Amino acid sequence: MSNLVEQLLNALALAGLLFLVSAGLSLVFGILRVVNFAHGVFYMLGAYLGFTSVAISGYFWPSLIVVPPVVGLVGALLEASTLRFIYRRPPIYQLLLTFGLALILEESIRVLYGNTAKGIDPPPLLDGSLDLAGIIYPRYRLFVIVLGLAVGCAVWLFLTRTRAGLVTRAVAQNSEMADCLGADVARVRTLVFGAACALAGLGGVAAAPMTTAYLGMGISVIVDAFVVVVIGGLGSIPGSMAGSLIVGAAQTWGAFYLPETAMVIMYAVMGAILIFRPWGLFGEEE
Amino acid sequence: MRILAVAALVALAIAPWALARYQLSILTDLLIFGLFALSLDLILGYTGMVSFGHAAYFGLGAYGSALVLINFAQPIPVALLAGALLAGAVALPIGWFSTRATGIYFAMLTLAFAQLLYTVAYKWRDLTGGSDGIAGVPKTALYWGGPSLASAQAFYFVVATCVVLSLVLCRAFVHSPFGRALQAIRENERRFTSLGRDPRPFKLVVVVVAAVFAGLAGALFAPFRGFASPEVMFWVMSGQGLMMVITGGIGTLIGPIVGAMVFILIQEVASSYTEHWMIFSGAIFVLMVIFLPGGLVGTARRLAIRG
Amino acid sequence: MTAVLHTEKLGRAFGALRAVTDVTLDVQAGELRAVIGPNGAGKTTLFHLISGLLPPTSGRVFFQGVDVTTLASPARCRRGISRTFQITSIFPELTVLENVRIAVQLKSGGNFRILGGRALLQTSERRARRSLESLGLLHRAEELAATLPHGDQRLLEIAMAVAQEPELLLLDEPTQGLSPEDTTETVAVIRRIAREQRLTILLVEHDMDVVFDLADRVSVLHFGQLIADGTPEEIRRNADVQTAYLGVVE
Repeated sequence: MSNLVEQLLNALALAGLLFLVSAGLSLVFGILRVVNFAHGVFYMLGAYLGFTSVAISGYFWPSLIVVPPVVGLVGALLEASTLRFIYRRPPIYQLLLTFGLALILEESIRVLYGNTAKGIDPPPLLDGSLDLAGIIYPRYRLFVIVLGLAVGCAVWLFLTRTRAGLVTRAVAQNSEMADCLGADVARVRTLVFGAACALAGLGGVAAAPMTTAYLGMGISVIVDAFVVVVIGGLGSIPGSMAGSLIVGAAQTWGAFYLPETAMVIMYAVMGAILIFRPWGLFGEEE
Repeated sequence: MRILAVAALVALAIAPWALARYQLSILTDLLIFGLFALSLDLILGYTGMVSFGHAAYFGLGAYGSALVLINFAQPIPVALLAGALLAGAVALPIGWFSTRATGIYFAMLTLAFAQLLYTVAYKWRDLTGGSDGIAGVPKTALYWGGPSLASAQAFYFVVATCVVLSLVLCRAFVHSPFGRALQAIRENERRFTSLGRDPRPFKLVVVVVAAVFAGLAGALFAPFRGFASPEVMFWVMSGQGLMMVITGGIGTLIGPIVGAMVFILIQEVASSYTEHWMIFSGAIFVLMVIFLPGGLVGTARRLAIRG
Repeated sequence: MTAVLHTEKLGRAFGALRAVTDVTLDVQAGELRAVIGPNGAGKTTLFHLISGLLPPTSGRVFFQGVDVTTLASPARCRRGISRTFQITSIFPELTVLENVRIAVQLKSGGNFRILGGRALLQTSERRARRSLESLGLLHRAEELAATLPHGDQRLLEIAMAVAQEPELLLLDEPTQGLSPEDTTETVAVIRRIAREQRLTILLVEHDMDVVFDLADRVSVLHFGQLIADGTPEEIRRNADVQTAYLGVVE
């Protein structure tokens, strides 16, 4: 029984990280209609910058707050200098461009940090384990679960309850109209892109104490995020949540019961979705 | 145009005598990757589908050919067939699933499946040699009891023949009624559907055909370089394929071959200066996407029409 | 005589929004029927239901006496329903000729031919040229569709649908966005091809002059429901229609 709860918590922790990444991916698609291939690399950037930040300051909490905006800024700058010019082109080009950006960023990180993985220690508050009614569970993972939930709610509230969120959704639905009505469409796009990258960066900082910062993490997480949005549906935050939970669960239980073939379960679920509902659980039927 | 084609053929034919051994080796390499890029153009340029996982088929071709050559010492054409067919066979189920998704979902799936294959190649030590790959792949003979293809010149001819034949076949393919239908799918899939056909079977066929040609390129790669390893299936390699096609000219068939050559030559030069030439490749690619989406050949054609 | 098109209590709801409700209409062979109604009346949704792009949430569609309700749009097109779109939907980077030729090929078959397709290509090309000629676009055959002026693109859309030699042609606002001159020309073209090829046409239009010029019968939609059905004169005098439009009908 305790095993099951532990598994569940592991799945939730993994889902939390996946959600942070795939929510950003989904947002960028929902609002800019672009799939940001470089999204995983921003996650990785967050992890590495988190490492640097902790190494310099010695503290984890400030890093958690400082690093995401920095990553967001990098993303916003890249969007404003490259992606902005090709929005009117067929989607193929936007996809290829973000792919090129991913390559540049990934290699840049390698230049700056080298090939070895960088570890971060969790802060004292989150170190060690908690006793939850007889189950010993790492505090840090609980933190990740809470973080994922909190961010999910925050994003949802922002989009549905705030004025800025309304403008953002307006731009997503009909950018020309929003433009006529006074919204600065280009600025909204840059901000959304930056915000999504910041979310990914946050995911990276949060992940680093659990997984260490390593060079393969960008591609690994983007593949997972892709599977999440295929299952959940692009452009939908609830979809990202559902997809993250499913993938998190599949990977966790798969790793436990069928270690070598854990990945296969995830692909099997994805395959089933593709057969019965190719636009994802919460996606829009084309 | 015809004159250029004839000139190119002549140049290819006399290359073994005109070039030094290492230059011929580079040319062979360029041709192999040219074939890889050509196969990707079928999907990207003619059908408008972005694939981030095309290198997986190249890799399958390499492993297929390597295993046949090392374990069964068959003549090269058998190995080529094995590699190409293996790639095509795997492309069938993957393509079936992937083409159920449209546009962007498709692109994401190609990456997901390719990474899956990469992980399989990486982990299945018994079959694929794991991260070390398969080494010591020999260049065997042309046919059972036939002349050995171990020399640089002989193997070059095999590669050049395969590439030229593939180019001819692909040209016929894109100009056929099927090929025309693919281009309509690229231009406006919704309209295509409302004009009477479901695009999915078309997409599946082109994915498999492209995989076969990519597999052929991989099957040539293994004996040429003497090894097969998971790196050739990695997403970076797929990305390089995309860059080759964009650089050369999407949707032109000859463009990607040219693009592959230019790209690899730039890579050779850049990597002699810095270990991090990928940043420059990436930057050039981004600039090309923004400013020269037609690539080298595409832009040249446009200028030729105007001038 | 069986109607070419018979819809029976056709309806489509999007959640709480009832876009089309309880539409029952018949279109006879050779008829040119106009569907009119204020903005948001559900005209384009009705077209989607007939052409198969959208499945209905209630009701059925009969085409030449056969229930095609469960067929998707490719199948319905092959059976003989061709359509144009309200927002021009062509193949931009293909030539005008190829746009129409591919429309012919997709309908008539041979699409999986890789070898030996020359005869097929020639036949489809000939039919395409004929279609272009009847729409006055033959002189632009080799130009890229994307470079055509808006009016010619609308004509190209019609050429593509007509080249498929449909039993039922659905034209969704063919004169939308056209200048008065282009509108007159398009109307003349539609009238001519309707007569020459004895087409059955269902036409959505906002321009009342066009409607009264072309239509044999008019159906009026309002908030997704059919509120009137008759000759143009009858519709013009119909009080409900006048209320619905409030001033658009003289």
